Amino acid sequence: MENVCILGAGSTKYGRLNEDIIEIALAASVDAIESAGISPRDIQAGYLSNVFGVADKQVHMAPVIMSNLGISHVPGLTIESACGSGSVMFREAFANIRAGFYDCVLALGVEKVTHTGTNQSTTLFSYCSDFFYEGGNGASFPGLFASIARAYMTKYKANEEDLAHVAVKNHENGLLNPKAHVRKKITVEDVLNSPVVASPLKLYDCCPFSDGASAVILCNENFAKKSGKPYVQVIGSGRGGSPAAVQGRNDISTIPGTVIAAKQAYKMAGISAHDVDFAEVHDCFTIAEIIDVEDLGFFPKGKAAREIRDGATSRKGKIPINPSGGLKSKGHPIGATGIGQIVEVFEQFSGQAGERTINDAEIALTHNFGATGASAAVHIFKKVN
Amino acid sequence: MKNPKSISVRQKFIASAKNSKILTRKCKDCSTIMLATILYCEKCHGKNFNIIEYPGSGYVTTFTIHTVPPEGFEDVDSYAWVVFTLDDILVRASGFLPNIKKPSDLPIGSKVNVQGFDEKHGLVLKKL
Repeated sequence: MENVCILGAGSTKYGRLNEDIIEIALAASVDAIESAGISPRDIQAGYLSNVFGVADKQVHMAPVIMSNLGISHVPGLTIESACGSGSVMFREAFANIRAGFYDCVLALGVEKVTHTGTNQSTTLFSYCSDFFYEGGNGASFPGLFASIARAYMTKYKANEEDLAHVAVKNHENGLLNPKAHVRKKITVEDVLNSPVVASPLKLYDCCPFSDGASAVILCNENFAKKSGKPYVQVIGSGRGGSPAAVQGRNDISTIPGTVIAAKQAYKMAGISAHDVDFAEVHDCFTIAEIIDVEDLGFFPKGKAAREIRDGATSRKGKIPINPSGGLKSKGHPIGATGIGQIVEVFEQFSGQAGERTINDAEIALTHNFGATGASAAVHIFKKVN
Repeated sequence: MKNPKSISVRQKFIASAKNSKILTRKCKDCSTIMLATILYCEKCHGKNFNIIEYPGSGYVTTFTIHTVPPEGFEDVDSYAWVVFTLDDILVRASGFLPNIKKPSDLPIGSKVNVQGFDEKHGLVLKKL
């Protein structure tokens, strides 16, 4: 088994972008290639994650990217796993390096949806649900997470103000991220007074629809060492699944796929949650972050809301969560999000995170899932000095 | 008329819902009951089942009220999307419940019943 490393990373700004989806994807790819100090000729395979390419009149996107990078002979693979597409795709790239099939690959996530407008985007996202039981019965994605929020709040006596604290913290972090979509300081009152989207979730409990692309260069450790560049090692990888429909879960206040994926990743890394210095988690809605940090083992079930209020997940807290601003502030171009989290880890560990740097961090975790957690992935990274 | 054998399990589930019932499978090996649309037993992974229709009555497990509805639901003034637990068998399903305007209209535990299934709004519930 080969050790797997991240040698370079790049990302576009997240937000409403004017370029077409291929131009966005290529911009992040070129950033990652240049960050790694490699040539396209070093890339032996291309992995791409995307969900709504059909809305951009472009599916089968990976070979198009390879062709436009001048390496049309390199095999490309496009992977879709709803909002978890990036991390699920990363896992496949990781596995192929680890198994020795390739020395160096490009892992690229991209999405462009803002041109479709809020109503069509809401509809497109509902296709990521178990449509027969959810989207087809009128559930939007905010609606699905709102139902999860209500179940959690009922079980653990949490309230809407608890949710609001997640949004406030992530917006504070996003203010320090020049590539974040929503760079705006907000207060708990702003969240509570924002329009209801699907009760109990309000506008500021929800991440934005974003365009954007993120890319990383993965390689084996021998390749990384020969490059002479600083790199980050991937020391843990886990994948888990949950019932696709919320109705199928015995306990709606947890996401089983996250728990499974985290257990695998911690085991592979030989660490526990207590060893993680910071994490990028899937905060598509504020309730998701509260559930994530419990399912990942950072806090006992039912205790995260209090810890978040007390600052435990702030940049200077005991376990900083989403220093990038998370999906909530940085944005959520769904095909790119899982890779964007890994770009944040690379930037943190390579001295490129500026004011949002988590001091002395050496172990980081990323967590990303598709839909309401039906497909989840957790990865753990180690800074190589 | 279609050959009954050509009806898919989802079509059968819909037909049951139109009669205010929920179609389930009960595993002959371990007695686990699940919605009929799941093809293997979730517990023992067997495929020997009795197909059973249960009354579509249950209670609200969780719900939301949409202010920004997805396409196809814009015509409804205000509705809830509800996860409900069937009485007696503790199997959950979900559906569309019209005329719910605020959370206090639908406390957790409220009794609901399957009203039918329509092509536009899916499985339709009624608050009892």
